[in-house]
Formats: sequence, C-alpha cells, structure tokens
Amino acid sequence: MSRWATIRQGFLATLVVWPGVAPFGMVYAVSALSAGLSFWETLGMSLIVFAGASQFTAVGMFGSGAHPFSIIATTAIINARHLLLAASTASYIRKSPTWLRALVAFQLTDETYAVGVQRFTQHGGDAWFQLGSNLSLYFVWATSTIIGSLLGALIPNPAALGLDLIFPLTFIAFTVPMLRDRVNLVLALLAAIISVATALVLPGSWYVLTAGILASAVGAWLAQRQQLAPKEPINENS
Amino acid sequence: MSIWLTYAGMAAVTYAARAIPLLLLRNDPPAWLALWLKYVPPAVFTALIVPAVVTQMGDHGRVLQLGPAVGAAVVGALVAWRTENAIVTVGLGMAAFWLIRLVVG
Repeated sequence: MSRWATIRQGFLATLVVWPGVAPFGMVYAVSALSAGLSFWETLGMSLIVFAGASQFTAVGMFGSGAHPFSIIATTAIINARHLLLAASTASYIRKSPTWLRALVAFQLTDETYAVGVQRFTQHGGDAWFQLGSNLSLYFVWATSTIIGSLLGALIPNPAALGLDLIFPLTFIAFTVPMLRDRVNLVLALLAAIISVATALVLPGSWYVLTAGILASAVGAWLAQRQQLAPKEPINENS
Repeated sequence: MSIWLTYAGMAAVTYAARAIPLLLLRNDPPAWLALWLKYVPPAVFTALIVPAVVTQMGDHGRVLQLGPAVGAAVVGALVAWRTENAIVTVGLGMAAFWLIRLVVG
C-alpha cells in the first residue's frame, strides 16, 4: 500500500475518537479566552503544545498568575505518561527511519496511541499509519479550538452534560475486546486497582505510569509462566 | 517571560516524553522486554478508564466518586463485549448515564 493511502487510513481510523475530543477542544478555547488569553495565544497553545489535559491545567494556572516554571513543571508531570505510550509504540515502529519516528513523537496522544496499537497488534507496526492518526487528532483539536473561540459562550459546559464520559467509554470500546483471556483479565483488574490507588495519592498522571508499568509486568510474568507450565492436565496431587 | 516562551517550555517537556523512547528504542528488545511491552496497551487503557470513571478532581486532588458514570461504564463494557463497536458503546453508555442521572436525580 502506498504511503499516502496508509496515512489516509490512519486519519480515517481516528474519526472514532473525534466525538470525545471535539467538545473539549471547544471548551478549552472558551476557558482560555476567559482566562485572558488572546485568540492567537489560545490557538497557539493547541498547535504548539497539543496535550489536552495539560492545556486545561495551564489555562487555570495562567488565570491564577502562576510562575511559568511551575506551569512547565506541571506540564511535565501530567505528560510523563507519554514515556510509556511512546515506549510501547516504539516496539512496533522501531524499524522506521529516525526522522519519521521523531515526527510521530510530535503528536502522540492517548487517543492516537490507542488507535495505532489496535491496528499494530493485528497488522504489524506502521509509522505512516500512526502519523495519519496523529494528524487526524491534531486537525480536530485545532479545528475545535477555533470553533470554540468563535462560538464562545454559546457552548454549554460539556462536563455538566457528562460528555467527559465519552473518553473512558471510547477506551472501554478499545479495551474490553482485548480481555478475552485470563492473563489480560487479571492484568486489567490489577491495573484498575493500582491506577485508582495512585490517582488518589499522587498528582498529575502518574497513575497511568504506575498501573501501566506494574500491571503489564505482571501480565508478562503470568504469560511466561503459562508458556513454561507443563502441557498435560494437572491431576496429580498438588 | 512571555507566554510564548512558556509554551516553548511546555512543548519541550511534552515532546521529550513522547520522543525519547521512540528515538532510543530502536534495536530488537530482549525477549523479556518485548513480552512486557506487549502487555502495556491493556494496562494503560485500563488506567485511563477506571480513575476517570470512579474518581473526580476535588479541591485537594482526586477523590473517590461512585456516581452514574459507574453504571454507564458497566453498560458500556457489556456493549463493547457483545458488539466490539466503539460508536454503539459510546452511544449506549451515554444513554445509560443520562437515564441513571434522570432516575437517581
């Protein structure tokens, strides 16, 4: 398949996460404008930083006059989870040229990581597909920031409508079909416990890192043990 | 410091987190690491889902909050199990959320 066709496939496969992203791009714009940012500053953050949760946080911190260094440090804490997403993606696309991987790194997010990994586990890694997915999310984030800036106060608060549930529901649709065997079920249960426990005690998005690293390690350990286990049915005592 | 310099700093730390593993992990990983990374997606996905459903931002960090979102997530999980369709999962999950909120108040 040609490069462009693959980029296009990645772009289109990402449409499924647009409904969860667009309302928050608009609300981000509204809250940025009301915190005193200009239109260009509002759009600029979406284009340059391109990381939803940390943009919301930064707007709140700009509004309360926080020091730039504490805004940058907070951004680093919130986005530390990308280390794990990028390591996981790297295991699929490490054969691609360095410049292409550097390009993919610009816009790797929770959503495009999910779309990419879903494809890679079935069809093998493809950096061009990931790039198309990334561009798709970049496009909808920038566009919804502009629409939010223009429509402003007309937009109802999506959190009040419960639209912040679209994000976990989309990820439920990605995840549940992966949990068809015992290793993955145990892993998910463990990830749920670790992530909630961490989220309650640590700030930022450390909970994605702790659960992502620990639960996957246990999953790998269980899978390894299953492979090594004797194949005959266990009917002797102990 | 201008706001654009702050953006540059935010973009730099964000890009570093996204780029460092992608640029450094380029050889065949040892078998144990490959197996470990293979199980990262379901672990990360679960970690992105569950705290978003059962906790909320309070004044001093996140707090446990078991509301209509939990019922909606259960409905979503059942629908995802049966259909493996994201649009249907999100649609019925949101419908369940609004219905539960309407009934419970």
